Amino acid sequence: MSKIRVLPDRVANQIAAGEVIERPAAVVKELVENALDAGATRIEVEFNHGGRSYMRIEDNGSGMSRDDALLALERHATSKIAEADDLNRLATFGFRGEALPSIASVSHFTLQTREASTDAGVEIVINGGRMVHVRDCGRPVGTRIEVSHLFNSVPARRKFLKTDTTEAAHIIHGVRLYALAFPQVAFSLIEDGRAIFRSPQCTTFEERIAGIFGKQTAEGLLTLEADEPGMKLRGLVGRPGVGRSTRHEMICFVNQRPVDSRTLNYALIESFHESLPKGRYPVAFVFFDIDPAAVDVNVHPAKREVRFRSEASVRSFVIRAILGRLREFGQAAAPVAVGNGNAGAATIGDTGRIANQPLAPQVAPSVTSSVITAIPERRVKDNAPYLQPQAPIQPPSPTAATVAPTQPAPPRSPTRAWRFLGLAHGAYALFETPAGLVLLDRRAAHERIWFERLQAQFREGQVPSQRLLLPVPVELDSIATALLLDRLEFFNGHGFEIVEFGRNFFRIESVPAWMEPTDAEPFVRDLLGALREGRLQEKNVDVARDELARLAVAKAIRLPEAAGEAELQGVLTQLFACRAPLTSPLGRPTQIELSHGELARRFQK
Amino acid sequence: MKFKINRDHFSNGLAQVLNVVGSKATMPILSNVLIEADKDFILLTTTNLDLGIRCKIKADVKESGAVTLPVKRLASIVRDLPNVDVSLDASPNHQVKIASGGSNFRIMGIGKEEFPPLPEFAEEKSFNLEQAELTSMLKSVSYAQSTDETRYILNGVYFSFKEGKLTLVATDGRRLALTNKEIEVPATSAGSIILPAKTVAELVRMLDKGEKVKISFSERRAAFQINTDKDSSGLVDSIYLYSKVVEGNYPNYNQVIPKETHQRIKLERELFLQCVHRAALVCSEKSNSVKVKLSSNLLEITAQSPDFGDAHESMAIAYSGPELQVAFNPQFIMDPLRALAKDEVFFEVKDEVSPGVFKTLESFICVIMPVRLS
Repeated sequence: MSKIRVLPDRVANQIAAGEVIERPAAVVKELVENALDAGATRIEVEFNHGGRSYMRIEDNGSGMSRDDALLALERHATSKIAEADDLNRLATFGFRGEALPSIASVSHFTLQTREASTDAGVEIVINGGRMVHVRDCGRPVGTRIEVSHLFNSVPARRKFLKTDTTEAAHIIHGVRLYALAFPQVAFSLIEDGRAIFRSPQCTTFEERIAGIFGKQTAEGLLTLEADEPGMKLRGLVGRPGVGRSTRHEMICFVNQRPVDSRTLNYALIESFHESLPKGRYPVAFVFFDIDPAAVDVNVHPAKREVRFRSEASVRSFVIRAILGRLREFGQAAAPVAVGNGNAGAATIGDTGRIANQPLAPQVAPSVTSSVITAIPERRVKDNAPYLQPQAPIQPPSPTAATVAPTQPAPPRSPTRAWRFLGLAHGAYALFETPAGLVLLDRRAAHERIWFERLQAQFREGQVPSQRLLLPVPVELDSIATALLLDRLEFFNGHGFEIVEFGRNFFRIESVPAWMEPTDAEPFVRDLLGALREGRLQEKNVDVARDELARLAVAKAIRLPEAAGEAELQGVLTQLFACRAPLTSPLGRPTQIELSHGELARRFQK
Repeated sequence: MKFKINRDHFSNGLAQVLNVVGSKATMPILSNVLIEADKDFILLTTTNLDLGIRCKIKADVKESGAVTLPVKRLASIVRDLPNVDVSLDASPNHQVKIASGGSNFRIMGIGKEEFPPLPEFAEEKSFNLEQAELTSMLKSVSYAQSTDETRYILNGVYFSFKEGKLTLVATDGRRLALTNKEIEVPATSAGSIILPAKTVAELVRMLDKGEKVKISFSERRAAFQINTDKDSSGLVDSIYLYSKVVEGNYPNYNQVIPKETHQRIKLERELFLQCVHRAALVCSEKSNSVKVKLSSNLLEITAQSPDFGDAHESMAIAYSGPELQVAFNPQFIMDPLRALAKDEVFFEVKDEVSPGVFKTLESFICVIMPVRLS
């Protein structure tokens, strides 16, 4: 007897089931995908005991004929592709033709289906891979699959299932993903006879999110829409400062398929780098559409991972799109339309044109036109006296490429849209705004202002440096010495003047003008620490500068204890002239808004 | 305790001791003033443990004794009393009755036992100075003290009695002001202290009430006995001010004072101050510096800020050296100019990285470090 045998189908299916069907959630996933592929507009998922004892997926899709249904239970039988080339044009979820037979081989499996063209449906019952019966049955058009006693025939797999709650969580998460991806399909999810959610057919994605994740989450989101040849990004992302402690609400779809893509995840986290504190993850529901040929979904049997042909371009596109949107939002959130300053130089003596000029500061050219037209006519007139007498003033730095920073801007009209109410604990300023109340964190606001100020100084290479009366001595170990010697030019180019003064010994002779002399030594040590950790890469000067600025703001800010209205209004004006006014450079929010709705809710009105 | 007192005298006395009391006193007793009545005067004392002040006011004492009362509240009440004659009567349970004209107050006090005693001063080293002179010396350096609390050594004015001179120094690490005066220093009395900024401020406020001030100090404490013979509102004898001193070694300031003079110009103080002040009006937090440019018989001051505009000031001077330009924080230029009283000052500069030095004919020096764009 030969030692090598071809395994019977049943065994082969059980083995395949090990790959595709690792837990109840995988069954739900495969079957919901099938339902969607069948063009269903209503899908109902029910499960008991974390799916281990019973799962039911019912749809109103196209259904199957008797022959098709039988064939579907064969391995590698699929309606979705016909030849290998089709893999490159995949527009459906399934294609491997493994799911149904795999599931059927490890459970008690009941399939009922009817095509629109036939009068009677067909019912197939399979137990542990063995056919029990095939017979006619009555049912509406569509398919209903019941899976019970999952892994009864594979005790090893059954043992490795987690608790019911964990398995249930996986199922719920999975169904949510598909529900998000297909707002036009009605979804119901029932656990142990209790509805987790019922979401009718939704016209918009926002409605669907509110239906599934709750209104509160939905209110903290921004719509996103970006296009580039071959790539498209849309969806909703959290506002700056809105974050979660886990990645669970960072959900990506590629060509409508929920995936776990490192590229996209990193791009998301990177985009929120400035808008969220370290260790917080953004809330994001994004749909990334790309030519199916440029993406490989056949990496993992469960199709959870995808690979892009060109990871770098995908990544940079996503970052650009999201960052752009976040900044745009930051600008639009300003209490009055900001930036009527910079338009001045270009339109001297022609105030009438101002309203039609792009008024935003140069760094954020994408302020929507609605913001611009929102500037009251009177405000424009207010500016007129400032504009007219403006003599041509020599730009201080003729080398600067952009016009805006070098042209002196006329002073802004004071912000009157937000009324200052008071300062709490010396730390939080309370403002009354048209939308409700805003609490401003003074420190975070100053951090943002200083951060961008320092960034600008670094960029323009104009870092004022204050020489010290008494040079500050710094003694370092030999590793730090080597590092410092290596980066001496970087340090000295950013406001310091550090000279070597013997073996492992340095003297700080100048510090950046904003720095207290006492802070110089600890700051240099902190910087060296950051260098050692590789946070200040010399390769990328911009990144290094940002990091430097981030470290520096903590030292630069000295808040006076009391602050009056004028000062805080000034802070507000400066803050909203920033690129990203809503978060501190470490990603903490600078302000909390209590909307009228929120207030009414809290007071139970 | 029972006494009668003139309202304005009482109010003036309370005003002298009021500032010491912080708003956030750690012990309730520290927000009280100790009132001690004896013979024909009362003593008012307050302390915050670092700094204590005591003054003496004439009063018509019927019954001697002592009590403490919340000083801020008491001062407001006394100031607003309707009649000049005020009588105060303390019962043994520390309840104090204040009566003036038709108004009567009853205030709860705390016993004198809980009030921390002012340090006993065994006279160690002491000097007598003219009040007016000490005031002007303090004013000419005190602006340069550091306000950065982490650098506590520099949060004060350094007093040095050495080599026949009293030297006062203040610095914040970017500028340094120094003034000195010749006095007789016996070898046994030589020494130095750092007087905390708060004490300096109080001292400046107190001075000019009489001719003389006596300073006594040890390594840990300093005391000032301020003669009040010029005062006409009730203060008698002297005001005493007891202060802890900042402990530590003051940096060696001599090494930062340039030894040689390079380019020296004579300036009209007021005019220069005004020019710098005007130029600095365009400065912002972003670019807080003014450029001083010297050329043949001309001094130019320029300032600019990228988002506002620029300013240019010029003044005629007598100068024939090489052309040179150096930038400073305008505050550093204006502070000494404001503090001085002389019409003429000398300003010495060398190049854009070397310090600028203000001098007067009377041994005043202020060194300010330049700002550079790197």
